[in-house]
Amino acid sequence: MRRLTIGFLLFAFIGGLALAGETVKIGFFSPLTGFAAADGHAALIGAQIAVDFINAAGGINGKPVELVYYDDACRADQASAIARKLIEQDQVVIAVSGSYSTPTRAAAKIFQEAGVPMISAYAIHPSIIETGHLIFRVGMGAPVEGVAGAHLAVEILGAKRIAVLTMDNDFGVSLSEYFVKTAKELGAEIVFEKKFPLGEREFRAMLAQVKLKNPDLIWATGYYGEAASIVSQARELGIEATILGQEGYDSPKFIELAGEAAEGVIIVTDLNRDSDREIVQKFLAEYEKRAGHPADMVAASAFDAVKVAAHAIAVAGTDAEAIAKAINDIRHMYDVVTGPFYAFLGREAIRPVEVQIVREGAFRFFHTFTEPEIIIPPEL
Amino acid sequence: MEFLQQLVFALVLGLSYALIAIGLTMVYGILKILHVAHAGIYTLGAYVGLLVVTHLTHNFWVALIAGMVASGLAGVLIYRGVYYYILRRSRIVPLIVSIGIFAAMNEFYRLVFGPYQHAFPAKLAFPMVITPYFVITPKQLLIIALTAVFLLALYFVFNRTKVGLAWQACSQDLAMAGAVGVPVDRAVALNFLLGSALAGAAGILMAFYRNEVYPTMGNVVAYKAFVVVVLGGFGSIRGSVIAGLLLALVETFLGSLEWFEFPRDAIAFLLLIFVLMFRPKGLFGRL
Repeated sequence: MRRLTIGFLLFAFIGGLALAGETVKIGFFSPLTGFAAADGHAALIGAQIAVDFINAAGGINGKPVELVYYDDACRADQASAIARKLIEQDQVVIAVSGSYSTPTRAAAKIFQEAGVPMISAYAIHPSIIETGHLIFRVGMGAPVEGVAGAHLAVEILGAKRIAVLTMDNDFGVSLSEYFVKTAKELGAEIVFEKKFPLGEREFRAMLAQVKLKNPDLIWATGYYGEAASIVSQARELGIEATILGQEGYDSPKFIELAGEAAEGVIIVTDLNRDSDREIVQKFLAEYEKRAGHPADMVAASAFDAVKVAAHAIAVAGTDAEAIAKAINDIRHMYDVVTGPFYAFLGREAIRPVEVQIVREGAFRFFHTFTEPEIIIPPEL
Repeated sequence: MEFLQQLVFALVLGLSYALIAIGLTMVYGILKILHVAHAGIYTLGAYVGLLVVTHLTHNFWVALIAGMVASGLAGVLIYRGVYYYILRRSRIVPLIVSIGIFAAMNEFYRLVFGPYQHAFPAKLAFPMVITPYFVITPKQLLIIALTAVFLLALYFVFNRTKVGLAWQACSQDLAMAGAVGVPVDRAVALNFLLGSALAGAAGILMAFYRNEVYPTMGNVVAYKAFVVVVLGGFGSIRGSVIAGLLLALVETFLGSLEWFEFPRDAIAFLLLIFVLMFRPKGLFGRL
């Protein structure tokens, strides 16, 4: 029995070595089922495009990249189990999270403990990268997004009376926290503040109260389903205030569901669809070809996370600490869609903050923030 | 103005709750099964309606009828194909089976139609009511009018037809009803047909009202409808309608208060606990 075990281990070891020699494995997880499945699929397609682009260009130092992916159903317990599987069974060199904040936080802990680096594509909660020195983020964090939203609202759009609607989960709460703080510092008055649960579709009662307060701008967090309900119901009630959203709105589905009401909605996000950079247009075209609908920031962020992972392995090999150092050393990385990434500070990509507006049924360029005091997280 | 407008919102929301809860309470009244898969039928109605409006015609009425027929038949299929064989088992068996069917239906919708929300591009010429005190949009008016028609029709069927009489007999004692010559099997199948068709109608109305159809749209409905059924008293249709309206009223008014920190969906359970403390049978229960 013992000999058999040793023999098996030896076999597995040699097999592992042989496989490791053939491909570079990047782990990936996103919600392919459940309420977040749409984003999970978008992220997966984005990541797969990155892998295909990298392999088409000769792989990493001649070795092809393999994306090992699982469905976390947007659940923390699933994400933990997947993290263990990716580490022990698949022995990935690095992992990319294409999931939301809650599962990403759970997985980050396990990757950090096991000494495997992880990059969060678009999960925004601040505590994710606080997990440890091997956990990175390419997407904008909540502090940056909230602060940028406040500057946009008060300084560029001239809002004085702001109503704040907050989705009651990691995503919404962390965004509104930084938005409200900064907006107050910049001199705006918060005239209404209320939370609603994820998945809420009935905002009329709440919006009728908002209307009474007569705000000139509404900051409403939410994913595209909530966002579409808020926007169309606000317009139905005759609220004409500017509605300011964030990356949760950044999906062609938002415009499809909200229809006419989406016109003029402004969002803070990662992706500038009107960018003239070649990588952006190449990615957008390839995504639309594969998915049959236009790309969103989720797909773009997953693409970029895989690109950063591949870059780090190309520079540093497969050692976790060396990979971490290689990511921290990134300067002016242009070969990404939501960038350019000027640097990684505090394990977070420092990059321009994009502002898009809905015009004639599409997201269009509105503004780009490059001011260091806005795009660098406030705690750094 | 403010108050009356909120009342309109509550009415629309409450009628949508009632419409879905009615089918549940009808099934419970007769078979004593907690029919969780009812929420899957609701979603089915919305998807069939979506297929019609995206591929055949933008006419809302065609979509409504197609969705109701498909939902009704699916309800009968679930009864004849599944519940029929496990009715004699302990009540937990049909419950678990029902949850399983519901989960399977959700995944089926996801696999066939994709995980994305779809817009519901139906067209309907319906008037808009504008008064100095409140505004009723065409879609809201549609929900109010259509639900009123359904409720009246249901009242008629229950109280003035042989089928209704058979249902009442079955809900009092299924075995005895069979013994005195009520065609129990057919009565129950009809019960599923009608209750499920109403759920399908609710699904289409909500899809149209909120302009979205997605695989898990029945999830919140699943437990909300249960609260409504328990609140109204198991098996009581009148109770379901009143409880649906009551829940919507409380949700709308509490939910609009800025200082009220509780999520709207939790209000249902608060109300449930409050009512059950004083009336353990629910508002109109006969348990």
